[in-house]
Amino acid sequence: MRKFGLMVAVSLAVCLALAPMAGAAEIKVGGIYDITGATSDVGKDYGTGAIAAEKYVNANGGIDGDTVKLIPNDYAYKIPEAVNLYKQYLSVDKVFVIQGWGTGDTNALRPLINKDQVVFMSASYDGNLTDPKQTPYNFFIGTDYSTAIRLAMQFAQDKGAKKVVFIYPDHPYGKNPIPAGKAYAEKIKLNIGPDEIVDLKAIDATSQLLHMKQFDPDYAWIGGTTASTAVIIKDAAKLGLRTKFMINCWGFDENLPKLTGEAAVDRAYGMMPTAVWGTDVPGMKAVLASAGGQAYTLHYIKSWVSMLVMTEGLKRAKKAGKLNGPGLKAALETIKDFDTGGLTAPITYTPSDHRPNTSMAIYGVAAGGKLQKVKDVTLERVPEYIGK
Amino acid sequence: MPCGLFFSKYEKDDAIFKTVWLKCWMTVLVVLLLTFPLFSQKFSEMLGLNVTNLLNLIFVYIIGAHGLNLLTGYTGQISLGHGAFMGVGAYTTGILANAGWPFWLALPAGGVMTAAVGMLFGIPSLRLRGLYLAIATMAAQFILDYAMRNWTSLTGGSSGLIVPSASLFGFTFDSDQSFYYLALAFAIMATMYLKNLARTRTGRAFVAVRDRYLSAEVIGVNLFKYRLMSFGISSFMVGIAGGLWAYYITIISDEHFTMWLSVQYLAMIIVGGLGHVLGGIFGAVFFVVLPELLRLPAEAATAVYPNIFGIFASLREMVFGLIVIMFLIFEPDGLAARWHTVRNYWKLWPFSY
Repeated sequence: MRKFGLMVAVSLAVCLALAPMAGAAEIKVGGIYDITGATSDVGKDYGTGAIAAEKYVNANGGIDGDTVKLIPNDYAYKIPEAVNLYKQYLSVDKVFVIQGWGTGDTNALRPLINKDQVVFMSASYDGNLTDPKQTPYNFFIGTDYSTAIRLAMQFAQDKGAKKVVFIYPDHPYGKNPIPAGKAYAEKIKLNIGPDEIVDLKAIDATSQLLHMKQFDPDYAWIGGTTASTAVIIKDAAKLGLRTKFMINCWGFDENLPKLTGEAAVDRAYGMMPTAVWGTDVPGMKAVLASAGGQAYTLHYIKSWVSMLVMTEGLKRAKKAGKLNGPGLKAALETIKDFDTGGLTAPITYTPSDHRPNTSMAIYGVAAGGKLQKVKDVTLERVPEYIGK
Repeated sequence: MPCGLFFSKYEKDDAIFKTVWLKCWMTVLVVLLLTFPLFSQKFSEMLGLNVTNLLNLIFVYIIGAHGLNLLTGYTGQISLGHGAFMGVGAYTTGILANAGWPFWLALPAGGVMTAAVGMLFGIPSLRLRGLYLAIATMAAQFILDYAMRNWTSLTGGSSGLIVPSASLFGFTFDSDQSFYYLALAFAIMATMYLKNLARTRTGRAFVAVRDRYLSAEVIGVNLFKYRLMSFGISSFMVGIAGGLWAYYITIISDEHFTMWLSVQYLAMIIVGGLGHVLGGIFGAVFFVVLPELLRLPAEAATAVYPNIFGIFASLREMVFGLIVIMFLIFEPDGLAARWHTVRNYWKLWPFSY
């Protein structure tokens, strides 16, 4: 009998320990990540960062006492799978905010997001998603791709470039920023060569680069992810091209020098919306602590900041007493010059402009494979570029 | 009490539902299916899965699996192009729907278009069999896949094509619950069609072609006609599945209709049971439900060990592959055969011998 009593006591204790603390509500957040798909080279760290940030937020008071519960799932970079997960989160988990991933699926979900009034924080920084008239519920934390590609063109011209080429995968992520880049390049009188398509899963880019060599550009834009970018950089070095590469933020990270070796030195430049791993800024301490000694890439940091901004929005929404989709949207739009501790430039959303900021850093690779800041750049925040 | 089935009339022997009990069970099933949306919400929350969404996908895949089962299971012609054929149906329906065609016209048009494409690529079946035909249909897969991706003006390329929700007689099927009835109706129609087709002269000709094409030709079966017809009907069904899928997901992109989908369709009917009507149904259920069920432990494990979320997500794919292999080893005749074994056991329970 005593044994039975003990067992009851133990199981009660276990239940109590496992049960969430009384009075604290749980705010569920859907998570759509790419762990096994075409962009998993950068998606894995992004997913890990989100889970670490969830822990950090809850350990530091949560949303004024409420806890955040992230429900992460892999969608393998397939649009229909993202639609399935979205439906699952809405009908079963009853979320009003989702942390999403790719450009293709985020754009595909636009009609549903608007209909269901769900705040969708994507890892796609597509310029299309910054116009609240079209996409009132889409938010993201990094400088948008269109701004990045304009800044890249400006940087190329400042370095004396005359000719540029655009290299990208045939995916919405690669294609969407290109018109903005071309329009800007034309405006500042750069000569544009024929586009080259390099797949996200490419293992060889020699034929594209040989074709590009005929035009012999000074600078080329790469709109892929790290794995395919590394292929391009290595092949360019092998062919002895003089072209330098401006790389979108998902194609340039701490893994690139590891994959390319010395080839990336003085050849690869990344348009970085966030600080790289281990940069000496106040916000990095918590990031490093959460990783427990492991070294991740800057995509971890992007995800971390996305969760922090969402948390700030949730806090403001809770204060206003409106913990729902429209409430969170309104709360996020009150965020002005939000300090991420130097992890990104200060973030501002307004009801007419969802671009978080228009500043970024250009990074290069130093000898020895360390990422090194080359220059801080800012594009003037003009209304004509909203949503384009 | 008779300890078996004793029919005194041929009509009775030919009936689809042979016994009173079977009729009762089928009625129960139909009533359950029809009333399901009433309690689907409770059910979904209990399981932690969006059950209505899963059932809708199952219904759509059942139609496609029936299509391929007709071709591969009944007529013995292998096809590795059905993933792309589904895409042809989806894109045709989607493009026509965007051009303002009503649902009741756009969907059959998608089916007819797919049937035409399927018959075109079925022509080599006159001369090619087995592995050779598999490669020929695989070529169809690659050609169509390429067209879907690169014919940007028509298909929207990699950005995908947005399709409006289906609407019929002024009612719009824009929720999971309403689409459920639409998909259920089509799945039932496809099942009844396949079941009945197999009992007709045409169906028997298909089976004759499969079992021994030389003998079939000798007894007067026009091989070319029936093979092509089988390709046509099969593609039509998979095209309808594609069209429904487009109306349901409301965005179609080429990355869904790859070689992987073709292989998945084949795996569905092999795991379900080749040449059984039940095969397509079991296969579709298996292939839609299992990955989702495997997601649940991954989700639960992530809550405990957050740092290895990535590993669990990949593990899910591996476990899925492993289970499929196990099924093929231990039940090579498919789930439909196992179902018959189980049913026969219970039929005479507890007095079986």
